[in-house]
Formats: sequence, structure tokens, C-alpha cells
Amino acid sequence: MALIDDLDVPMTEAELERRRFLGLLGSGALGLAGIGTMVAGVGYLEPNAPYEQATRFVVGRPEAIVPGGVLTLREQRVYVVRGQAGVYALSSVCTHLGCVTRHGLGQSEIVCPCHGSAFDMEGRVLSGPARKRLPRLELTLERGEIVVHTTSQVDDDTLLEV
Amino acid sequence: MRKIATALTRSRVWRSVFRHGFPDSNRNRSLAIFSSFFLHFHPVKVRVRAIAFTRTFYLGGLALACFFILTVTGTFLMFYYHPIVPSAYNDMKDLQFVVSYGMFLRNLHRWTSRTMIALVFVHMAWTFMRGAYRHPREFNWTIGVGLLVITVLLSYTGTLLPWDQLSYWAVAVGTNIVGAIPIIGAKVKLLLLGGHEINDNALLRFYVLHCVVLPLTLAFGVGLHLWRVRKDGGIHLPELPPRRDDVGDENYASTRADAGSPESSDAPHENA
Amino acid sequence: MSEPTPESAPERGEEESLGSVGAARVVVEEHVSDCRTSDFVDEPMLMTFPHLLVRECVAFLGLSIFLVVMSLCFDAPLESIADPTRTPNPAKAPWYFLGMQELLQYYPPIVAGVLFPALLIIALAIIPYFRVNIERPPLWKSAPWTQVASLWGVVAGLSGVFYFTGSVPIWSLMVPLWAVGLAMTAGALPWRRSRLGIWLQTRSLAFWIFAWFLLAATTLTVIGLWFRGPGWRFTLPWYDGFY
Ligand code: HEM
Ligand code: FES
Repeated sequence: MALIDDLDVPMTEAELERRRFLGLLGSGALGLAGIGTMVAGVGYLEPNAPYEQATRFVVGRPEAIVPGGVLTLREQRVYVVRGQAGVYALSSVCTHLGCVTRHGLGQSEIVCPCHGSAFDMEGRVLSGPARKRLPRLELTLERGEIVVHTTSQVDDDTLLEV
Repeated sequence: MRKIATALTRSRVWRSVFRHGFPDSNRNRSLAIFSSFFLHFHPVKVRVRAIAFTRTFYLGGLALACFFILTVTGTFLMFYYHPIVPSAYNDMKDLQFVVSYGMFLRNLHRWTSRTMIALVFVHMAWTFMRGAYRHPREFNWTIGVGLLVITVLLSYTGTLLPWDQLSYWAVAVGTNIVGAIPIIGAKVKLLLLGGHEINDNALLRFYVLHCVVLPLTLAFGVGLHLWRVRKDGGIHLPELPPRRDDVGDENYASTRADAGSPESSDAPHENA
Repeated sequence: MSEPTPESAPERGEEESLGSVGAARVVVEEHVSDCRTSDFVDEPMLMTFPHLLVRECVAFLGLSIFLVVMSLCFDAPLESIADPTRTPNPAKAPWYFLGMQELLQYYPPIVAGVLFPALLIIALAIIPYFRVNIERPPLWKSAPWTQVASLWGVVAGLSGVFYFTGSVPIWSLMVPLWAVGLAMTAGALPWRRSRLGIWLQTRSLAFWIFAWFLLAATTLTVIGLWFRGPGWRFTLPWYDGFY
């Protein structure tokens, strides 16, 4: 068997130069193809229309909540609280790692079962690994009914006057 | 009987598969290894010290055995499992109460997965304690760390599949941790779940990862790992200690230290 | 590899060495002498077939028996169907993540859930590329007492980190650290003659770090497994039961 040894073939400087260039071109093309595949792959895997829960829903008339009362919307993971001056909504999802917090009837504390964080009714952290307060969600009044927008957060002193 | 057996083992077909005679001589025993697929895993002869049970406790081998059992039981489970909410959960109940041996298979899959993680972990710890991670086995150790990660990920993705409370919340917390990674976290979490919440999409993604992507990766990695064990000179053995009278008590420890500094041998297997 | 046929097989016990196997052996020997195990050739050897394969089969059978018995005796748990609106209390991760769940108590997720695991994996992956005290000369060979002092300096520093940076002091990381420190110090004591003493002396630094990792991981997991109850409060297994 005779080996055709390309390393032994005499080559001019120009030919070598051409080889290097072609090599570079080839690697570049391979690299581009790789990057393109990755970009397209990520794009493919990214869902464009995830069919999920509505981010906006109607709670009902504000009079339905007694002053100082808390309405727990389990499905939507929201607390609607009626304070002295007005109504506000808190997300009931723990800011630590996303467990659903609990609020016992008549209690002034919201606690998380996962790692033991506790929040007051304003959403402020009382204890435990959570560091951020429970976010306040935007409320609007539409045709006399409260509407919660779960994807839109508002400042921590925003109230819906009723 | 004998005649049939002889005729069979001498037939062209048989000999195209097994290129050696009955392994009753050392020559044929060598060939049984040398001419077969096993050469990828085992040399023809092994040092007695290397196969002592306490040398490795066969931990790596047993982890591999677990992987094998998991593949088989997992395939069986796939025949009944739909990765949809709420069928996923109902299928678990079916396996438990309706399917013959369903509960046994599910148990076997579950306990084998836990055993595998424990075995892989102890394999790592023992490999470390024996000093087998050192030159020339550095890279195989690093491959091993990759295998450990994949093994844990396999178990983790499998956790979501029964779609019970434990699954759901383990994955909720886990993906929120992923989401906490700066910059890329939110995106990775979105890709992992196929949405913003844990629902059918997430279940399907975890299913594909658990049943296709991760097992294939692990199989490939284990192949590489085992091949490297061979290429790195087999199981690591301590050097036979120099005899104490040769060096004297004072120098004993330091001789052992200097007996061969690892830098001196230069990747002996790179062209193997 | 195709020429040796069954017919030409020599009789049992014949010691003739095969061309191909012999060649392979030369390669192996060269290779192995590079790996400094020059005593390889003189060592007692066994045929892989059947000696190693039989052992592997026995190990596999033992494992299978264990797993089958486990599966017959214990049923895999299945809780109620997933309910995104109600988190169970306590919500425990599978046991191999309990160590991390413990740490999530003390540090924000980015530290306990991302930084620690990432550092751990990177550290594990690069261990063999460090040449820290790799060939085990006694750790305390020179100037033992200054070294012991610096050891305890490091231990104190780390303890401080675990005491002050967590949301509460993290005893489950500190106590294993002290245990390792004590064992290392014991290695510096002048009891050269005893086997235990020599063993302690010749452990490398990497060994001790790894030992701490193992101890701490075990402690965290055991606490998470048996000593955590509702609200992730500390509890005793015989008091609140197992979760
Ligand atoms: C899926 C997981 C794994 C499988 C199936 C596996 C399999 C094996 C097998 C069969 C061996 C031969 C010796 C023995 O049985 O102990 C081995 C050796 C080895 N493994 Fe693994 N392994 C795995 C994970 C790991 C991990 C996590 C590490 C370390 C981080 C590791 C590092 C090593 C090293 C360094 C050797 C060479 C040991 C020596 O030379 O004595 N492996 N592995
Ligand atoms: S998720 Fe609420 S405390 Fe961790």
C-alpha cells in the first residue's frame, strides 16, 4: 500500500497561502453553520403562543369585600385586600422561589410553606429567606368591577380608591 | 446433541459472530475478549490486585448496570404513559392498580434511579479517596463529573413526569432557581418550560429530555468514560511500595512521594 | 484478527503466546511503564474471561436482587395530583437536592441555588489539574506549628463567613469544618509510628477539602431529610414523623 503523503508534496508559498485561506474559509463556514443552527434551534424552542391563564381577570364589585377583609383568589394566585383607604392586590406567589403562600382567615400574616418566609398584609417581608416583598398588582375599575392585571406591577403604595 | 452443537458452532454464521472456539483454553479465553466487543472494556488479562472487590467495589460497573435496568424499565413504562395533563397522573394510578406488574415496574424504575445516583456519588468519592483522579486519569475524572450531572438531571426531569404534588413543586422551585441566574436565567427558564407556567408544554419538554436527550447523552458519555478507563492503563493501582529496608525509615515517606513525579510522564496514550 | 480459527486452537493449558496478543502486550507494557507501574509484568494476573466477567455477573446479580426486593417491599410514593394553587407543607425536594434546599434557607437563590452548585461542579471538574500536595509528602513536614496556626486561621475565617453571611449561623457547615480541622491537626502531632498517625500525615490537602465536602453534604442532606417539618422548621423525626 502506498501512502500518498500530502505533507511531502512540494508546495510554493502561494499555494500554502491559498491552503491557509481555504482552511480559514472552511472553518468559518462550519462555525457559521453551527451558530445558525443554534440560533434557529433556540428560536424554534421558544414558544410563540403558549396557551396559558389569562393575565387579566374580573374580581367583582369592591363592596363585596368588607373593610379590612382579604379575598384569596386561589386559581389566579392573588390576594385582594381592602384596607382603610382603598383596595390593593398582592401576588400570592412567594418572592423567594415561587411557592404559593397561605393566608389563614383573620390572620395578619402571610406564610410560605416551602422555606418559611413570612409577609405582612402589605406584602412586606417579616422573616425568612425571601428578600423582596410580595408585589402589588395593577387594579382597575371597569364598569364598577375590580379588574386585576397579573403581569403589571405597581408601586407599593398604590391604592384603588373606592 | 453434541453433534448439533458442534455443527452449529462450526457453521459459517456462528463463526462470523464468534471468532474463537469454546473458551476452555487460555488461548481461546484470550480470544473471547480480544476478538469481541469486550476488548473495548476489558483487557485480556487483569492484574489480581485490580479485580479485588474492595479496589472499586465495582461501583462504576454497578452504576452502569443501573443505567441498563433503567433503560429497560423506562421503555416498559413508556408503553402506558402519556405526557399530557391529567393523563400523566392517571396513568400512574393505572400502573398502580390496573396494569399487570405495573406497580412493580414503576417501583423498580424509581428505586433503581435513586440507587444509581447513590452509586455514582459513592463511585466518585471512592475514586477520589483512592487517588485515581490523578495523572493520567484527569480527563476521565472530568468526564465523570459530567456523568454525575447528567445522572442527577435525568432523575430530576423524571420527577415531573408523574405529575403529582411533589413533582410539580420540586420543578417549580427548581426552575425558579434557574430563573434566578443573572441575564440568561429568564430565557433558559422559558425554554425549559416552554412557557411561563408549568403545564402540558413543560411536561412534554421534560418528557423528551428524560426519555431521549439525556439518556442518549449519558450513553455516549459512559462509552467515552469506559473507553478512557482502558486507555488510561486500566484501574488505578497504588505503586507497590518500595521496601523499607532499601531506603531506611527516615526517607521512607519522601521516597514514596518522589517515586515518580506525575509531571515526568508525558501523555503516553495520546496516540493510542 | 480473522485468521485464528477454532480448529487451530491449541489444547487447553498450552502456554503459547499469540502473535497478535503478544504485540498488544508489548504496547501495553510500554504504555504501562510510562505510567510508572513497572512492576506490572511480575504481578500475578488472571484471565479476564472468566475471572473478571464472573465477578461482574455476581455483582450484577447482587444488585438485581437488592433492587427487586426493594421494589417488592416498598411502593414508590404518589401524592395527589399536581395543584398549582396549593403548595404542600413542607415541600421537600427529592433527597439528592435536600442539601441544596437546606442552603436555600440561608442564602438567596442566586447564591445557594446557582453559585454554590456551579462552583462545586467546576471545583470537582478541575480537581485533578491542581498539583496541590499531590504526591502526599506529610502535610506538616516543615514548620508544623506555623502551618497548624494558618490552618486554624483559615478555619476561623471560613467559620466567620458561615456565621455571619447566612440568614442564621450555618452550623451544619461549620461543625464538619471543625471536625476536619481537628483531624488535620491530629496529623501534625508527633506520633509518626502509629498507623493512624502516618495515615493522617500523608493525606493531601485536596483530600481534606473533599472530606469536608462529603461531611457537609451528608450533614445537610440528613438534616433536610429527617429534621425539617412544616414551615421548614427544625424538628425531630420521632416528634413530627418523617416527611
Ligand atoms: C453514569 C455514571 C458513571 C458510570 C456508569 C461510570 C462507570 C465507570 C466504570 C465501569 C469504571 C471502571 C471501574 C469501576 O467500576 O469503578 C469507572 C472508572 C472511573 N470513573 Fe466512573 N462512572 C460514572 C461516573 C463517574 C463519576 C461521577 C466520576 C468522578 C467524578 C467518575 C470517575 C471515574 C474515574 C476517575 C475512573 C477510573 C478509576 C480508576 O482508574 O480506578 N466516574 N467508571
Ligand atoms: S419559596 Fe417561599 S420561602 Fe422559599
